[in-house]
Amino acid sequence: MKKVKTLSVLLTATAMAGVLGACGSNSGDNGNNVSSSASGAAPSASNASPSASGASSAAPEKMKKISLFQSKVEIAEPLEALAKTYQKETGNEVEVWGSAGDAYATQLQAKLAAGEGPTIFSVATGEEADKFKSYYADLSNEPYVKDIAPDMALKDGDKVVGVPYGVEGFGLVYNKSLVDPKDVTDLDSFTKTLEKLKADGKAGLSLSQEAYFLIGHIINTPFALQSDPQGFIDKLNKGEVKMADTKEFQEFAKFMEAIRADTPNPMEVKYDSQMGDFATGKTAMVHQGNWSYSMLADYGDLGFDVGMMPLPLAGNDKIAVGVASNWVVNAKADPDEIKAANAFLNWLFTSDSGKNAIVNEFKFIPAMTNIEASNLDPLSQIVYEATKSGNTIPWAMNYFPQGIIVNDLAPAAQEFFMNKNMTGEQFLQNLDAAWAKGAK
Amino acid sequence: MKTTSRSVGSVLLVLLSLAFLSPIYLMLVNSFKDRAELYRNALALPSSFSFQYYGKAAEKMNFMTAFGNSLFITVISVLIVVVLASMTAWMFVRTDDRLSRFLFLLLVSTMLIPFQTLMMPLMQVMDWIRTNLHIPMLNTRGGLIYMNVGFHASMAVFLFHGFIKSVPVALEEAATLDGCSKFGLFWRIVFPLLKTITVTVAILDVIAMWNDYLLPSLTLSDKALRTIPLSTFYFFGEFTIQWNLAMAGLVLTIIPVVVFYLFAQKYIIKGIAAGAVK
Amino acid sequence: MSTRYRKEKAWYALFTAPLMIVFATVVIIPFLIGIGYSFISWDGIPANPKVFVGLDNYTALLKDHRFLTSAWHTIEFTVLALVLVNVLGLAFSLLVTQKLRVSNVARTLFFMPNLIGGLILGYIWQFVFTDAFKSIGEHTGMDSIFYNWLIHPQTALFATVIVFAWQMAGYTMIIYVAGLQGIPDELIEAAKVDGAGRWHRLTRIVFPLLMPSFTICLFLTLSGAFKIFDVNLSLTKGGPNNATELFAMNIYNEIFGYGHYGLGQAKAIVFFLLVAIVTLTQVILTKKREVQY
Repeated sequence: MKKVKTLSVLLTATAMAGVLGACGSNSGDNGNNVSSSASGAAPSASNASPSASGASSAAPEKMKKISLFQSKVEIAEPLEALAKTYQKETGNEVEVWGSAGDAYATQLQAKLAAGEGPTIFSVATGEEADKFKSYYADLSNEPYVKDIAPDMALKDGDKVVGVPYGVEGFGLVYNKSLVDPKDVTDLDSFTKTLEKLKADGKAGLSLSQEAYFLIGHIINTPFALQSDPQGFIDKLNKGEVKMADTKEFQEFAKFMEAIRADTPNPMEVKYDSQMGDFATGKTAMVHQGNWSYSMLADYGDLGFDVGMMPLPLAGNDKIAVGVASNWVVNAKADPDEIKAANAFLNWLFTSDSGKNAIVNEFKFIPAMTNIEASNLDPLSQIVYEATKSGNTIPWAMNYFPQGIIVNDLAPAAQEFFMNKNMTGEQFLQNLDAAWAKGAK
Repeated sequence: MKTTSRSVGSVLLVLLSLAFLSPIYLMLVNSFKDRAELYRNALALPSSFSFQYYGKAAEKMNFMTAFGNSLFITVISVLIVVVLASMTAWMFVRTDDRLSRFLFLLLVSTMLIPFQTLMMPLMQVMDWIRTNLHIPMLNTRGGLIYMNVGFHASMAVFLFHGFIKSVPVALEEAATLDGCSKFGLFWRIVFPLLKTITVTVAILDVIAMWNDYLLPSLTLSDKALRTIPLSTFYFFGEFTIQWNLAMAGLVLTIIPVVVFYLFAQKYIIKGIAAGAVK
Repeated sequence: MSTRYRKEKAWYALFTAPLMIVFATVVIIPFLIGIGYSFISWDGIPANPKVFVGLDNYTALLKDHRFLTSAWHTIEFTVLALVLVNVLGLAFSLLVTQKLRVSNVARTLFFMPNLIGGLILGYIWQFVFTDAFKSIGEHTGMDSIFYNWLIHPQTALFATVIVFAWQMAGYTMIIYVAGLQGIPDELIEAAKVDGAGRWHRLTRIVFPLLMPSFTICLFLTLSGAFKIFDVNLSLTKGGPNNATELFAMNIYNEIFGYGHYGLGQAKAIVFFLLVAIVTLTQVILTKKREVQY
């Protein structure tokens, strides 16, 4: 019996040590924070940068190896190639990690919890950027930051903490041989166009079942049209306003009713089939962004021209443009790594190889004033021009409470599309109820 | 008469398996189509059986390196699980006291915990081990093997436990009288009797570890360490998935396991097993 | 006596401690830490503050209508899955252990679905339930049965059951096969000599001797069904209108979607306790019916 006790004591001891240890590690982490975050790491980072930029003109300085983790699978390969070029040009190493697109945020969170965080990582603007903000190094004094286009930098208060990947835009992507933008200027003409196309055996418009393509993007318009979108969202979170009582949303509900009545049920449409139907001329319009052009390109010669126009809701005549993702530097990394990270970002945004990769390999619409866009696809060209002329509405959805599109708004929209008897008014009430739940 | 009923049985069995396999058919045929063809008809046979997507997938995945990593991690993890779990299960069965029953229940009940709720604390524990004991648990193959063993311990013990109970004690008693140590007794007398269940555990664990995405994705970061499932990430954008490459990649992933299974199942065929357990 | 006893214990520790230590560091300690987090309000970001809130998370989850619905769907799903998986698995195992020429091939084929996971699985089955079902419905006129199952709450849940069973049946088959192989031929032959029919032999001899395999398979299916995540995510993402949001997904959304770490952990603990009680009762009950020979 005694031995049993010894053994169980041994086991419990191991267990306890672990528990205590784990707690200890948390406090240890916090200890690190105090010494190495804002007060420690950031100044050292800014001190480091002049030497980094200085180094680019003289012989390259040997830097610590850094890691880079980002969410956009489409640029994973060009990024790995770019890391090789970087090593060739400067002798410094960047290890590029990879993750499937929808698993990225969770993996990032787990790796940060394990003290295994990457040196440079990407965050989506909005809730995700907010979530990880305790990790951002202050980049305000870095040389490449001055080239970020106005209002495009990711900020925490006055500090610049993130550099945009590029800009993206969405609206009604349309088939120029089936639709004339003059016939889609307000609710009436929009509905008539849908009806006419339906009579011709075409789908006038198609949404698709993915949460963002079903509701997330299209509901952005009534939010963006508010005089102060962020303020409106705050009030909505506090329950001081209701979508159901707001004019733009009432019209939004009518648009959704028209879409439900005259177009295929989006619950039966996947992004793949949505773009397939569009590419083969079965669908005249899709509510999509410039990113969808990469799908269309896989179909070869479409036999028609594509364009992008605003969703003509409540007089809106602008497409929605925003920054989807940003590069940030992990403030909890070792100061030498932060220095190396800034050197890499500086090289990415100022060297010819880096700039070339952003435009021609990543195929981003640059959000930097020192990088000229070239060879853009037709949709990106429209977004680029709208951005330059300032003829855009913002991505208000970036300020939505965390997880609300996928977890709350999408189910409400699914119910609306499944239940043909639900009125637009009831739909708005459901959205309000969903919002109240999601914002808690 | 008997042969006819046998052949009818065979035909039925084949038909049933084919119906069961129709989703796999979908996976195979669509690994040969480009996006436009996939969109036009996902159910039909491909217009050409060109293996270009297989070549491209293998190249992008860096297949040989990934294969080496997967093989190393899976083989070592499964060996350790089988050795440690069989020993533990045998002790639990033969020492049927309160401690054994408690530990057994503890093992079994944790099989009900969803991994998603363990992953964050797990990462913190591994971080603690790394900083305080200086054992590199993260971003190493060894660390992943260690965690694989921990996560697959429960089921292996559970399976061995169930099987060992039906092994007669008489044999062991005879061996003990012959002066065999516990260690020798287990490895020379008991373990050979467990062949069927050992192969079963090995098969189930090989499948699970070979195909695992979540745990390796949390623990392995460097490109050089990626396992086969991790290497397929290139094909899975958040919205845009390259289905042909993804499916070709999946076929490449599972072929080794199918080969292993064909090989391993010989050991659970009647005769060998029946000779062992009596 | 006492030295022998001590020696026994040393052997016991030698045989069991290595595995138990690994297990403790990988599963038990993280689980205990998780229990700790269930009393804390935290968003899951290590650098952000953790606030002790006592039992608040537990009282909150009782009022969480969506969680309760999700728990109910999980139970519904589990019961259906349990039956379907084991009926199929057992039937397959009986089929492939017949001495037919194609048995080996069939055994491999039935086992194949196990190997397909993640997003691909969802993609393939979406084709089956949306495109293939629809075209069967249109061609046969049985469109009251064959329509897009994934957009109706009830059928979407059934679809999830079918996919899970498709994956899991081969898995349990392997275990049932192992069990069947353990049954001595002599017993069956003796019964044949006694003139017992096929059905009689099955129910009176094979099934009772297969009890350990039943225990194992029922438990494995149960734990697999309660924890189901991959199939759920890739097939329906919990839709339509959360009708198929099963338990693990609900927790995942709470933790990583909303960033309510403590609440998610509290849900996990509560559900774990409930499930543990149910399944352990099941294990104990079926174990009582196992026969030694």
